[in-house]
Amino acid sequence: MDTHFIYRRIHSLTGIIPVGLFLIYHLYIQLYLHSGAEVYNEEVNSFYDSPLALWILVLVVYIPLIFHSVFGALITFEAQVQPSYHYFAHLLYWLQRLSGIGVLFFIIAHVWNAQLGPLVADTWGTHWEHLAEGFSDPETGLVTKTVYVLGILGATFHFANGINTFSITWGVALTPKSQQRMRVISIITFLVLTISALYALAAIW
Amino acid sequence: MSRMLKFKIKRQDSKESSPYWEDFTVPYKANSNVISCLMDIQANPLNSKGEKVSPVVWDCSCLEEVCGSCTMVINGEVRQSCSALVDKLEEPIRLEPMSKFPVIRDLAVDRSRMFEALKKVQAWVPADGYHDLGPGERISPEHQHVAYKLSECMTCGCCVEACPQYSKNNDFLGAAAMNQARLFNMHPTGKSLRKDRLDVLMQAGGISDCGNAQNCVEACPKSIPLTESIADLGKQASKQFWNNLFSS
Repeated sequence: MDTHFIYRRIHSLTGIIPVGLFLIYHLYIQLYLHSGAEVYNEEVNSFYDSPLALWILVLVVYIPLIFHSVFGALITFEAQVQPSYHYFAHLLYWLQRLSGIGVLFFIIAHVWNAQLGPLVADTWGTHWEHLAEGFSDPETGLVTKTVYVLGILGATFHFANGINTFSITWGVALTPKSQQRMRVISIITFLVLTISALYALAAIW
Repeated sequence: MSRMLKFKIKRQDSKESSPYWEDFTVPYKANSNVISCLMDIQANPLNSKGEKVSPVVWDCSCLEEVCGSCTMVINGEVRQSCSALVDKLEEPIRLEPMSKFPVIRDLAVDRSRMFEALKKVQAWVPADGYHDLGPGERISPEHQHVAYKLSECMTCGCCVEACPQYSKNNDFLGAAAMNQARLFNMHPTGKSLRKDRLDVLMQAGGISDCGNAQNCVEACPKSIPLTESIADLGKQASKQFWNNLFSS
């Protein structure tokens, strides 16, 4: 067993734990957008009241996320285009890589827009207003909305399909039948997360 | 005038020279396969322009899709040319050598990398020696049912040709060798090498280089459950990983 195997397995694991779990939590919190500015801001800011907030953010979110995305981007360069094989799983293989790269760019923009930008500008804390302003901006609003929808679709797809490939990588689902069941689970995950996230955004559309 | 079949063949004169396409026309015969057409070209090596050219080189042996040596890319998809019936192929029929192996000449490729991979994973039962080892262990019908399917692999190369992770620039072992590692890891005598096989599979080029595209299982002419084999080895590797971390 060498580092090659360990890095790949850590990459596979971090996609689900903690990055995938964080995605679920993150999208859940967004449902509070429907509860209005005060409740939403309170809900988001309450996390930062914890004395461990920064530690949790760095150790549970940023480091695993950066490792998963940077290592994943490197893995993508191994892939060779095989144009004549039109199989469903092969399509998912490419969508997984495409969504991974796309979401990486989305996250960079998203972290700047929602976290670092407001911190630098000293407008941190009024998250609801910040998001709503961005969405209703007469010039850039449509672009922001489009980027968010694409980012959500990319992230939920990447996570849902990742459940499927994770189960093969770790040997959770062995037979074609059990892999089929896993696929059903991942489709349900994709639909639930996507609908929930888009519904949350509808509050400030 | 009798019907003629059009062929476009990707040719290469030597290992080092660059490939080029050449057109051939072959008289149609009912029920002929790609190999019988190649034989016609060999007997009368004229290209479509009527020029006399060197006959097209290809590999074949069993002619019943069990040896794997006649594997080539036909109309973009990798398969055995012996079981490729021209009646079922769109014209012009495009023949190319497999892209993942060094070309020896024309359609003949060198699949050594696959056989080296079998050696790396020790795809055999260790039973060397002249002394009497006694009867082998009994194998249940359930075991046989699984193992027989895995043993049908003919190392033809379809799985790795279709694989987006297997390239000339890396040292990925590929689905065929992994499937054999699974087969011999489940064999009552073969499993004595289980740990050694997993050690190799848990290095660069091993099990973790699989990208789950699952083209292998779709392309396999023997319908071997290759994804299941890879998942099974993934499970074995997970256990070994755990043992290496906490029990050794």
